[in-house]
Amino acid sequence: MTEIKSGAAVATSADIRGATAMQLRDVAVSFHGRTAVRDCTFDIAKNRVTSLIGPSGSGKTTLLRALNRLHDLTPGAKVSGQILLEGTDIYRGDVTVTELRTRVGMVFQRPNPFPTMSIYDNVVSGLRFNGIKKKALLDEAAETSLRAAALWDSVESRLKVAASNLSGGEQQRLCIARALAMDPEVLLMDEPTSALDPIATLRIEELMTTLKSRVTIIIVTHNMQQAARISDDCAFLLMGEDRAGELIEFDTTEKIFNNPKDSRTLDYTLGRFG
Amino acid sequence: MSLVPAELVVQDEREAVAEYNSATVERSWYHYVLLAGAILFAAVSVGFVGTIFWSSLPTWLHHAGTLLGGKGWVSPAGPFGGLAMIAGTLETSLIALVLAVIIGLGTSVAIVYLIPKRLRNVVATLVELLAAVPSIVYGLWGLLILAPWMESTVNPWLNKWPFATAIFGSPGKEFGTSLLLASIVLGIMILPTFVAISREVIAVVPQDLIEASLSLGATRWQVIRGVVLPTAKIGLFGATFLALARATGETVAVALVAGGVANAQFHLLYPGTSIAAWIALTFGEAQGNEIAALMALGVLLMLLNFGFSLVSRWMVRRQRLVLERV
Repeated sequence: MTEIKSGAAVATSADIRGATAMQLRDVAVSFHGRTAVRDCTFDIAKNRVTSLIGPSGSGKTTLLRALNRLHDLTPGAKVSGQILLEGTDIYRGDVTVTELRTRVGMVFQRPNPFPTMSIYDNVVSGLRFNGIKKKALLDEAAETSLRAAALWDSVESRLKVAASNLSGGEQQRLCIARALAMDPEVLLMDEPTSALDPIATLRIEELMTTLKSRVTIIIVTHNMQQAARISDDCAFLLMGEDRAGELIEFDTTEKIFNNPKDSRTLDYTLGRFG
Repeated sequence: MSLVPAELVVQDEREAVAEYNSATVERSWYHYVLLAGAILFAAVSVGFVGTIFWSSLPTWLHHAGTLLGGKGWVSPAGPFGGLAMIAGTLETSLIALVLAVIIGLGTSVAIVYLIPKRLRNVVATLVELLAAVPSIVYGLWGLLILAPWMESTVNPWLNKWPFATAIFGSPGKEFGTSLLLASIVLGIMILPTFVAISREVIAVVPQDLIEASLSLGATRWQVIRGVVLPTAKIGLFGATFLALARATGETVAVALVAGGVANAQFHLLYPGTSIAAWIALTFGEAQGNEIAALMALGVLLMLLNFGFSLVSRWMVRRQRLVLERV
């Protein structure tokens, strides 16, 4: 790890962080030749919550979407550098994009259950996309993932009801259950609570803390308190002078918030800008 | 009377708009000009519908059964049976609709998802230009280009299939102009209408639903089949009904290519007619009771079209509600 740019940060925390789920090496994303984010080199530790923080335009979401190749469909988008999932390069390695996305799930800003599907059909939709038809398997996966998303008790009796009948917070937990049903290794969360009220937000945060024992979580958040509360590691991004986002610092959340190396990190976490 | 459509106004603004509308602003001359225009329009509409109903009244009072179920149309004395026209209208419209929906759905999906962005607008514009071609041109093309080809090539070929006689009529009696040709020409004519609307319905399926399904490992085809089309379903039905309304009302092209024969039969390769085409072909020589019967056919066609349009609008509105709840 000596050849990498922010190697020092990786090295200092490597001992307490255990195994690695994903590795980012000099990752940059550009659209039609314009760089949106660059110089991202850090490791995502297994079974921990990693938060990506930074002001608007710093490329947090752009970076997150590179991790399950959602940029593939955007014309003119180009991802360079290396992103490794369990050692396999997800762009050039021996893994198809659909397989990758079953291993790296995603939860979005706005709760987005499929409006024409029931609660049950939403949860098992990913399994069905991947060719699983056996009812017993689907039933079991539905219950397990709804339980994991702390939603089972409130929806058990109405699994066939349209998902749009749920509240915003419940819809978001349904989306989490839908992603969990694929049994992913990594779960990407793009500001998952920004559309929710404080109580629903709290429940999602509690959920993340319990979920990390079974899935590695990477979350983009605008909310600094949220990052401090729930994440174990933290990457701070900032927009450079050429309006491209770049990684300023990566470390444990504790260090980022209490003892950062870069003065800009301190300014941001103290709320002096952004 | 509100100047702003109610559905465009959010609750907070509603009071302000109501206040604005009810305020006793000084009314200048253009207020009265516009008001006069509105009243004139209302009067013309009522008068239009009313006179058509009034003129058709003798038929509805005395020969309603014959008009709706009778087989022969004998000028000038009657009876005036409308079964051939009603059946011809429904038959040609429905076949046209099936053709248009199958081809149109593929076209819409391709425009929105499959072809490169730069070509997208070009293709969409071309499709909409097709909708602007006057129907007489479609009719001429059907009569002069398609009809001879149908007679020489397509019809004999179709008659080789099992059950061909039941569907198409006995072989050896094929005509160039037929109900089938009318259906095909109609299908081509309503295709742009269907594509224009279904393309928009498909395009507004929220991107985050598509990304959600991709993130679950769905292939592009699964996204389209499993998420996009089901989400757009109600709006697609709306597009279908609008296309149906267009097909049932189409006059001049059908008059040219359907054959213009009022035989109540369903064989597709035989000539037939539709309500609209029959009115266009017959009214010139009609007198007395025949005029009333034609007016009654007109009322029937109007109601049919009202119905389809209402269903279509209702469905497009429901589609909007579905998307709002996402």
